[in-house]
Amino acid sequence: MRVGLVCPYSFDVPGGVQFHVRDLAEHLLAQGHHASVLAPADDDAPLPSYLVSAGRAIPVRYNGSVARLAFGPMMASKVGRWLEAGDFDVVHLHEPVTPSISILALWASNGPIVATFHTSNLRSRAMQAAYPVVRPSLEKISGRIAVSEDARRTVTTHLGGDAVVIPNGVDVARFAGAPLSTAWQGRPGAPTIAFLGRIDEPRKGLPVLASAMPRVLQELPGARLLVAGPGDRAAARARMAPEVAAASEFLGAVTDVEKASLLASVDLYVAPHTGGESFGIVLVEAMAAGAPVVASDLAAFVRVLDGGRAGATFRNEDHDDLASQLLRLAADPAARARLTAAGSRRAQVFDWSVVAEQVMAVYDTVTHGADELRAESASDTRWTRLLRGRSRGEA
Amino acid sequence: MNTLTWVVVAVAVVLGVAWYLSYSAARLDRLHARVEGALSALDAQLVRRAEATLELANSGSLDPASALILACAASESLEAHNERAGEDLLEGQHFAGREVIESDLTQALHLALPEAELDRIRGDGAVGEAALRRLEAAALRVQLARRFHNDAVTDVQRVRAKRVVRLFRLAGHADLPQTVEFGDDLPGPARE
Repeated sequence: MRVGLVCPYSFDVPGGVQFHVRDLAEHLLAQGHHASVLAPADDDAPLPSYLVSAGRAIPVRYNGSVARLAFGPMMASKVGRWLEAGDFDVVHLHEPVTPSISILALWASNGPIVATFHTSNLRSRAMQAAYPVVRPSLEKISGRIAVSEDARRTVTTHLGGDAVVIPNGVDVARFAGAPLSTAWQGRPGAPTIAFLGRIDEPRKGLPVLASAMPRVLQELPGARLLVAGPGDRAAARARMAPEVAAASEFLGAVTDVEKASLLASVDLYVAPHTGGESFGIVLVEAMAAGAPVVASDLAAFVRVLDGGRAGATFRNEDHDDLASQLLRLAADPAARARLTAAGSRRAQVFDWSVVAEQVMAVYDTVTHGADELRAESASDTRWTRLLRGRSRGEA
Repeated sequence: MNTLTWVVVAVAVVLGVAWYLSYSAARLDRLHARVEGALSALDAQLVRRAEATLELANSGSLDPASALILACAASESLEAHNERAGEDLLEGQHFAGREVIESDLTQALHLALPEAELDRIRGDGAVGEAALRRLEAAALRVQLARRFHNDAVTDVQRVRAKRVVRLFRLAGHADLPQTVEFGDDLPGPARE
């Protein structure tokens, strides 16, 4: 099958949507399908062979955070050329309601379209304002996928209709087999606690974790906080209490291999995100790697953690509750081992082999419908053909 | 001059209205096409599901009572499909009362294939395992096709409720498509 994937966010910046598209494309290619990804990317960055760069992305404030997006008339013609050259059986758009190449591809495409909605926090104001413009082209989507129940609820409330839930995928084997690193392993009474995510994005929750740490350090002076993620380290350090800053190690942006190794080595992984998360792929990665997870009780996180059975949760933004959970688990190796075991089992549900099979089923379903129609349209009247041709020109 | 301006404005308005009507008709046409495509996909996947069920029932991996229940439900589903094979399935874009039959098949699958039974068939490496895999793939696709069909129907119904569409009868004599409702849960434990 020839699949064209469109990613709205810049491919050389790490992010959940980008990783999802990359992994899906690589999985499809490994199964012998043809996959091409269209995404904005810096032209001088090293790109995988299946990626077609739509050009440089511009940082734009959209939907509450800064995203690097690409749009404009030049982009529109680039998108059109990519669609034409690709001759795809199915075009799979990600985040179709962003001002980006995804929506441009939606306009330009005539074949079967599948769209994946990742976000759970579409601003209704923006959506309502853009509705009359966007709606007719949204009607072209034959199959809608949401990555989580929360993302699905967003789709049903803002767009009407429904979406099937297919979670984000993780290569479980890669995380489960990650090598341990002694530098990141804790000792009894001196556990290591990992945080992953942009350190200057408050929604990722580093401030909450930093406020919980003084109590942890009081009881466990040897505890270490390992912070992995891009951002201004000096500023992040300055925002912490001095004793917390002293116990923290900033690793900067880590590679995928380092991330897997970090998660496999640490005693606890903390996801203190305060909101704006619709799925929480990093929780699945932590479970796959065998790290006991402590996460804020966002609905999305609780669901990924199988109702809290595969990981501990604390009240969102409550640093005191977080500190209690950390201290409880740090003192109880058996509880940590139970979480690790439950997490490994839970992670299997999100393995790419399972997830890609479901995505393939969506492709099968929408392409079947389109093939039927193609066979039928030979018998169309001239008038409907004329109208269809017209809709191609306009839509 | 003044008359000329008026004529130009009038022509522009008429052209604008004509464009909008033709655009709306094309939009509706596209939506109807989507419903048709989804319904035909649903039909095809239902046939595949019934065939895989029959195959599983005849594989010898099941006890005779369960096999009989499955074979009965599956052949009813296939019969309902074949009865209408001669006519255009999409005429009127409805499902011809097959909902009950398909719900029955789903229920039969649940009864005959509890979790433990699924694990046993998956492990035995015999004909049953391949049939079960095909059955699960088809059941998943039935679920998707029905969801996508109902999505398309919702869109058509919304657009056809618009005043322009009703006033100018842009839908022609096409019947208003209806959603298809039947139980289609996958056998085995509830999924995410």
